[in-house]
Amino acid sequence: MKSAWPLFLAWKQLFPSQRKVSFFSLLAIIGVALGVNVMIVVVAFMQGFQQKFRTDIIDSQGHARAVPLHRQLDWRESVETIKGKSQVSKVTPYLQGHLLVQNRDYNAVPFSMGIEPTDGNGVLPINEFLKNGHIAIQGYDSKDLTPVPTTQTLEDDVVFITQQVANRLGVRPSTILQIYDLNKSENNSISKGDISVVRLDPFVKSGEWVIEFSNDQNFSLRNALGTIERHASLGSGPPDLGWGYPKFDIKEGDYPFASGDIYKFQVFRSSILEVYSPSMIENAKSDEMAPPREVRVGGIFEVPWQGFHADALFGTRRFMEDMRGEVDVCDGFFIKFKSEFFEDEGRLGQLCTKLEDDLDGDWSVMPWFVENAWFFDLLKFEEYLMVLIMIPIGLVAAFAIAIALMTTVLRKIREIGLLVAMGGSRFAVGTIFCFQGFIIGSMGALLGCALALLFIRYRDSLMNFIVTRIAGEEGQAGVTQFYDFYSLDVPYPWESEQSLSTFLTFILFAILVSTVAGLLPAWRAARMNPAEALRSE
Amino acid sequence: MSNNDRNIVLQAEGLCKSFSVVGEKLKVLEEIDLKLKKSSSLSIRGDSGCGKTTLLNLLARLEPADSGLLHWGAKIINAQDKPCSKEANWRAKYIGVVYQSYYLIPELTVLENVMMSVRLSKLSLTNYKERALQLLEEMGVGNKCQQIPTKLSGGERQRVAIARALVNNPVVILADEPTGNLDERTGGEVMDLLLNTCSKEGTSLILVTHNPNYARATEQSSFLKDGRLIYE
Ligand SMILES: Nc1ncnc2c1ncn2[C@@H]1O[C@H](COP(=O)(O)OP(=O)(O)OP(=O)(O)O)[C@@H](O)[C@H]1O
Ligand SMILES: [Mg+2]
Repeated sequence: MKSAWPLFLAWKQLFPSQRKVSFFSLLAIIGVALGVNVMIVVVAFMQGFQQKFRTDIIDSQGHARAVPLHRQLDWRESVETIKGKSQVSKVTPYLQGHLLVQNRDYNAVPFSMGIEPTDGNGVLPINEFLKNGHIAIQGYDSKDLTPVPTTQTLEDDVVFITQQVANRLGVRPSTILQIYDLNKSENNSISKGDISVVRLDPFVKSGEWVIEFSNDQNFSLRNALGTIERHASLGSGPPDLGWGYPKFDIKEGDYPFASGDIYKFQVFRSSILEVYSPSMIENAKSDEMAPPREVRVGGIFEVPWQGFHADALFGTRRFMEDMRGEVDVCDGFFIKFKSEFFEDEGRLGQLCTKLEDDLDGDWSVMPWFVENAWFFDLLKFEEYLMVLIMIPIGLVAAFAIAIALMTTVLRKIREIGLLVAMGGSRFAVGTIFCFQGFIIGSMGALLGCALALLFIRYRDSLMNFIVTRIAGEEGQAGVTQFYDFYSLDVPYPWESEQSLSTFLTFILFAILVSTVAGLLPAWRAARMNPAEALRSE
Repeated sequence: MSNNDRNIVLQAEGLCKSFSVVGEKLKVLEEIDLKLKKSSSLSIRGDSGCGKTTLLNLLARLEPADSGLLHWGAKIINAQDKPCSKEANWRAKYIGVVYQSYYLIPELTVLENVMMSVRLSKLSLTNYKERALQLLEEMGVGNKCQQIPTKLSGGERQRVAIARALVNNPVVILADEPTGNLDERTGGEVMDLLLNTCSKEGTSLILVTHNPNYARATEQSSFLKDGRLIYE
């Protein structure tokens, strides 16, 4: 520590003895901290969004897609070959095309995809998509009990469509509402237990259903027409009337049900769509009008990735075969690899090439990032943009610090002269100011990191606070629809290498900029003639 | 070098210095010869602007001379060379300075100001802390160690500055009107302290002053006039 007197003086000028901190250093450190904080948070959030886009893209098409290079008859064999690979976790064959879908006078031409219902939730998380697309009806005197549809209800006469198609056609899947009797509010009391609907298939008929308790254990389930009436107890649970009827479930609450408790439900059947294939339309021109295929709306889905077709339809593979008038065909496979392979794009690419070889060159296997090359262009662009933003911010910060330190140099001319007269070399005197820049940069960077960690930790409540202030409670729903920051995964530096490198980059950047900012004042101080410095008033 | 010269701690031979002011050459010092023996003291008087401060700056190697030679003990320095950092290191240990203005560093406490000298000469802080406290005690400001200098009076500040100049046992003290900013009584006290401590510690002293009384208190007195030193 003997030779470290410039560091000592630098420290003391920022944090003088007998005082806590100088105003200048406080401002400078806070300035650097805010800068570092903002940069880290922005980049961390951008990385979070990138990660989200990645998973969204992969969710909507798997890690890779295999497309036949010529008409394959033995595609089932190829599926088995791919399934046999140890790195592969799921394979979904699909058929695709466009269909004309009609409801009365409204029509749409969604991008349509046929998949095996058995592995419907295989590569594509269709059940998740259905959950995203499910919208409960908000009623004043009713409660929507419709369960979220799943691929279990997907059969050859059932399709899932996107929100946009449903809106255009004015259709919806089957729905069940519990109707409250507003005059008898006691029946709605929550503590009396809960009745839910566990299954509502696409083929249920419209109608009213009633559950009425005869005592605290026994109840009857009947339809309003009086054609069906079943008696059951809480022990056995509500009876399953089979496909085509809603299946209820009753959970007991704090208070027992009592004789005369009545629960009413209204079922609305699902809409029926008329579907035409391109070939049917072709035939219609030659006056051979074939009747359309009628299918039920089984559910409404939403793919979180904006790049996916807004008008889309999922049906079974056989349904698509029927529509195309072909048998046992396949347009390709969606492939999902085991998790250890998909983080690394290079390995994924190699894997795909190897898979092509294993399939005797009959199939082209494209990894997701090749098919979505534009996505990486976007990332590159984003990166350039960041650099473009960072450079001026860094320069402004550097100038501010340089000016402040320069003022210090001019204010301390005579002290600088004295330090040289006392035996300090001019170079060493100069380094005082570099050290000051370094200290400001380091402390600001650390403080900025701490702020950034706090921000990441409390991002949800913070964003919530800001968005509700700006957009209000309702606007918030709109904002989250586009920027779903609640589901954003923003990792801490100890959780991911990428985050760690972001933090380190900005720490180094801040320290470097601040130290460099000290160079000019340092040079100014070192250049000073000590004799003249001592003379100056 | 003769045996006699062993005792010489500071010597100047033929120091010349001129400044160019608005194109004209202003000769300030002409052929200054000066010898300072160990533990001796020399006062320099002279009219304002005659070059006393300039002479001290040349002796301390804060700026180059036009010509001449300097001896810092056994070290011989060409006075017209630009001062280098090697000389700065020598100076830290060899020469202590006291100025009319006190030049204490406001961000440091009194004790830390004194210890700056120790830091600059790269001596051990722990070894010299004791001495710094003792010097401050001798200077009569022992109770102000943890104060910051802006809260001290002028006389107190100069006492601290003197302690700072002496703390690392320099061979020579160069004092440029150390009492210039003080009233007569305080100035007298401070001057007594400076002279007494220097002679007690065996430190040589060059004292620039306007006050003939102080000048008489040194072993040797001189007068700077027309760029030459005249010994009385
Ligand atoms: N850097 C400089 N450039 C030009 N002239 C200078 C410079 N430094 C000093 N001088 C001139 O040199 C002369 C001597 O100055 P110096 O400060 O040595 O005088 P001094 O004897 O210390 O006077 P005082 O008793 O008032 O302190 C003055 O005339 C001054 O104007
Ligand atoms: Mg002077």
